[in-house]
Amino acid sequence: MIYAVAVFAPLVGSVISGLFGRAIGDRAAELTSILCMVLAAVCGAVAFADLVWGGATPGVVPIASWFDVGGFRAPWALRYDTLAAVMVAMVTLVSTLIHIYSVGYMAHDEYPTYRFFSYLSLFSFAMLMLVTADNLAQLFFGWEGVGLASYLLIGYWYDRPSACAAAIKAFVVNRIADLFFVIGIALTFFRFGSIELSTIFAAVPSHMSDSYVLFGHNYRSLEVIGVLLFIGAMGKSAQIGLHTWLPDAMEGPTPVSALIHAATMVTAGVFLMARMSPVMEAAPIAKEIVVVVGASTALFAATVGCTQNDIKRVIAYSTCSQLGYMFIAAGVGAYQVAIFHLITHAFFKALLFLGSGSVIHAMSGEQDMRKMGGLWRKIPYTYAVMWVGSLALAGLPIFAGYYSKDAILEAAFSAGSAAARYGFVCGVAAAFLTAFYSWRLLFMTFHGESRAEAHVLAHVHESPPVMTVPLGVLSLGAIFSGMGFRDLFIGSGWPHFWRGSIVNAAGNNVLEAMEKVPATIGTLPVVMGLLGIVLAYAMYIAMPLLPNILARTFRPVYLFLLNKWYFDELYDAIFVRPGFALARMLWQVADATIIDGVPNGVASLATESSAQAVKLQTGSIAVYAFTMLIGLVALLSIFLLLR
Amino acid sequence: MSAVVMNWIVALPELVLAVCGMAILLLGVAQKRENPLLASMLSIGALVLAGVLVVSGSRGQGYEGQLISDAFSTFLAVLILVGAALAIMLSLEYNQLQRIYRFEFPVLIVFAAVGMMVMVKATNLMSLYLGLELQSLAIYVLAAFARDDLRSAEAGLKYFVLGCLASGLLLYGISLVYGFSGSMDFARLSRAFATPASVSAGLVVGMVFVLAGLAFKVSVVPFHMWTPDVYEGAPTPVTTFIATAPKVAAMGLLLRTMIVPFGHLLAQWQQLVVLVSIASMVLGALGAIGQVNIKRLMAYSAIGHMGYALIGLAAGTEAGVRGVLIYLLVYMVMSAGAFAVILAMRRRGMAVEAIADLAGLSSTDPALALLMTIFMFSLAGIPPLSGFFGKFYVFLAAVQAGQWTLAIIGVLTSVVGAYYYIRIVKVMYFDEPAARFDVRHPAISIAGGATALFTVLFLAIAGPFISAADLAAKALFG
Amino acid sequence: MLAVGIGHYLTVSAILLVLGVFGIFLNRKNIIVILMSIELILLAVNLNLVAFSASLGDLVGQVLAMFVLTVAAAEAAIGLAIVVVYFRGRGSIEVEDVNLMKG
Repeated sequence: MIYAVAVFAPLVGSVISGLFGRAIGDRAAELTSILCMVLAAVCGAVAFADLVWGGATPGVVPIASWFDVGGFRAPWALRYDTLAAVMVAMVTLVSTLIHIYSVGYMAHDEYPTYRFFSYLSLFSFAMLMLVTADNLAQLFFGWEGVGLASYLLIGYWYDRPSACAAAIKAFVVNRIADLFFVIGIALTFFRFGSIELSTIFAAVPSHMSDSYVLFGHNYRSLEVIGVLLFIGAMGKSAQIGLHTWLPDAMEGPTPVSALIHAATMVTAGVFLMARMSPVMEAAPIAKEIVVVVGASTALFAATVGCTQNDIKRVIAYSTCSQLGYMFIAAGVGAYQVAIFHLITHAFFKALLFLGSGSVIHAMSGEQDMRKMGGLWRKIPYTYAVMWVGSLALAGLPIFAGYYSKDAILEAAFSAGSAAARYGFVCGVAAAFLTAFYSWRLLFMTFHGESRAEAHVLAHVHESPPVMTVPLGVLSLGAIFSGMGFRDLFIGSGWPHFWRGSIVNAAGNNVLEAMEKVPATIGTLPVVMGLLGIVLAYAMYIAMPLLPNILARTFRPVYLFLLNKWYFDELYDAIFVRPGFALARMLWQVADATIIDGVPNGVASLATESSAQAVKLQTGSIAVYAFTMLIGLVALLSIFLLLR
Repeated sequence: MSAVVMNWIVALPELVLAVCGMAILLLGVAQKRENPLLASMLSIGALVLAGVLVVSGSRGQGYEGQLISDAFSTFLAVLILVGAALAIMLSLEYNQLQRIYRFEFPVLIVFAAVGMMVMVKATNLMSLYLGLELQSLAIYVLAAFARDDLRSAEAGLKYFVLGCLASGLLLYGISLVYGFSGSMDFARLSRAFATPASVSAGLVVGMVFVLAGLAFKVSVVPFHMWTPDVYEGAPTPVTTFIATAPKVAAMGLLLRTMIVPFGHLLAQWQQLVVLVSIASMVLGALGAIGQVNIKRLMAYSAIGHMGYALIGLAAGTEAGVRGVLIYLLVYMVMSAGAFAVILAMRRRGMAVEAIADLAGLSSTDPALALLMTIFMFSLAGIPPLSGFFGKFYVFLAAVQAGQWTLAIIGVLTSVVGAYYYIRIVKVMYFDEPAARFDVRHPAISIAGGATALFTVLFLAIAGPFISAADLAAKALFG
Repeated sequence: MLAVGIGHYLTVSAILLVLGVFGIFLNRKNIIVILMSIELILLAVNLNLVAFSASLGDLVGQVLAMFVLTVAAAEAAIGLAIVVVYFRGRGSIEVEDVNLMKG
């Protein structure tokens, strides 16, 4: 019951502020949606605590029947197990904080804000439906729901062409991935005869050796399904190849970036891997693909992050990179570790985004770090929380990221396979780069000479309490969530904590093995992080001219990174431009002449036959009666003839 | 029937509703100052009461096999009562402004509802006829209710004359069926037809007459001629009523008659229903294109939609009947909604009915334009609105039953149909705004909003409705 | 002497039906004639019902005939009332004038 309240309260908030926002005014709409979110957060936390410490039994909360057609059954139901409860607690908490923060951030916006809050709450609801789904149809409902909310929020400032373009890009890229996801769901249904999770999981062992034949090759069904699901996850979680939408998505308001594009939605892919762990465990090749893609993303995004100048884009690439880490963990079979990093990451990445939002707020909307600098005296509080966030991100001891990132690298090291080794190497290299770009951000923004224009500088001020309080709460999370949850999530008592909501196959003992890795492996990320900080200090504080010299000397490399490995250009050349050319050809040749010609002909035909059809309708009773009689006679004769 | 079984309790809702109707009539006459609002409210109360009785009432046969109360009749009776209540609710403001605000209006609707409930419960040709006539007589009067409006009188006249002709044909068919089989009871007829090869020609002729009489009531080609004129001429609340509940009742009656007594002759009448269905879909799609009056357009749309519903009957399977029932449900709700919007079309107290009057509605009244858009898209059958699911289930049944032609023609005519529905949307959103409409009566907003919500959310809430339709279809196939 | 059998009744009733139906759409003059034609159709039906009832030895047909008579009375009342309403507005009851709405 409480659990259902946690899921549906945001929907209520969204509906009220969306439909009646104009009538009740912005303040009331904000208040309603925040109250609903607070209620959801409390219920989410209670449901979580109840499950972990209160001894509640995991189960399913039925809501209503949805589809029940033939063999295809998909009820509305909420799955109540540790994995879902963890996600619900995290999503509601972070979402609540971001709702509150938004009140301050959106205060100066020129539009009424009820629409914004309605979208935010709608997003929260969809995300909760996603994580609590008991069947793949409901999961897909949530999956598309968050996609929709993300589209609406990226394009929130609908009068900015760049925002609209970014929204469309996010939507389209996600649709490409979703296509594979849907195919995956369909194949699951055909293979297992059900899309209900418990039925699928129970049936996995009996389908181990099923296979599809394509072009004369045999492909194991579970591998195919695993890969398809992973491609769906890649789109949502912005993995390399399908990542291009995420940096552009920063066109949305900063709280949106924090909520959707850092803490919650983008982690849906990781969640999906954990949720489908029984299937993934049966698909070793798919898992190796997960590791390789995740590792590549982690490294790739970190390299790009080092050269970006937009403060939000740096953090966006850092998100990509951290998601890559999570996929490394999921791919080596340590789903628990992936979820652990997901949770800690939610705190510190939301913190970083909201902190950067606070910076942008102070700078009257400026996002280019080259026009910042020396801000730390003016906004000390923001400065402090950005430090906390960066320390957590870089994974320095006692901060949250230290525990989770460390665990991921240990898991990758101890998994043993070649792919895992690759993941480990990429992860360590990315750890170094992560620390480097984080401190580059800190140094460029807060230290050195101010490069801002005078009137902007005069206006710099610390954010109001409604923004700083959520920052404080998230800082606590960024500091303590790693320490606090480590034992629970991946400590020796983990089987008791997860209670089977994540399945590790019989031979998969990564979680035990990672306890035994050499101490040097454990300290490696910290060392790399410190080195990264030192390098950042050297380049941006000690020798501020060095970056320019490097950029000039290694100009091709620099440009390559600055332009994000030319992914956008590549896609533009491969897909977009031929697409446009094809479209233009279709428009001019096929559409204008053939397609328009035919319907225009058909349309005039229809209009003419319409005139004929109503010709009989003369208004005369006699004709009407006669028509009826003729009709009767016709029916009779047909009948008697056909008999 | 061997044993005399009265079991009057199965007709309790009808009895209660009839008594209530008469009581309200007496009350109306007895009152010194006419109070139509009171009569309307009491009538809605009576309909609700009947609804409660229908849902909670006992099941089984009664009146020596004249009536049956089963899941099928319950499903349809609830639809009918909802349609009647909506029509009364929507009539309040219109009747007041058109000076036809009389207490007889709701009472007539109540009597028509009684007739329709008898129709869906009838298991004997006699009760079938009586229910049908009770309904028809009440509606003839309703159609001519605006006595000072010549078009209303003409609509009433046309409906009356053609309706009587149809009843005559139906009756003649009944007499033939009776004479050649020796019974009017559905169950006994069904047994008499158990071996289709030995059925006499007289019986078959009788059956076609019955089919024709019922086809008139559901307004399918070639018995549709009254529809556009009556829709246009009758007062709009009456049109709203005609477009909703009687369609449900008549289609329900047609379903039961064709499936239960004539079920064994499926192979013989199937071809006729296919032809009628195709002709209706085509005429509905084509006829509406050139219309300028929105009520007339809705009439052609109704013809087309009844053609779609008949696809399910033509399939002749349980899935087909289920499809028809779902179709009736979604069609009734969306057309009631569309008429709610049409009722909101008035300027300085005068009702306007031209499609051109909707021009630019999106800028003068965006909420109303949105409602109309929802209904038009749903009528056109665009997913995920309810209209799509209505079509989906009948097409599915047709395909499963091997009736590919029907399904293909259905899809093609839907495309043509979409043209004129979307034209209305285009007029509302892209044409130069016409003058603003008057302020809406709350009853219209409530009815329009509720039906729109149902139409939009059908995807999410379909479960219980579909299982109810499933049960109802099962009841028919015993 | 010719025995009057069921066939004869049916023939008469069929003729009456056809007369009635033709009366509706061949008549161009007067709406009252249409009402009479409708009565004719109903009479044809009644004749049928009673004849069948007698030949089957089953009373149900006659019961329905009674109902039909009753309904026909109600129908006539309503029909005449509508014609009166129409006449008041239009000033004519010519069948050909009933065509305000068409298309």
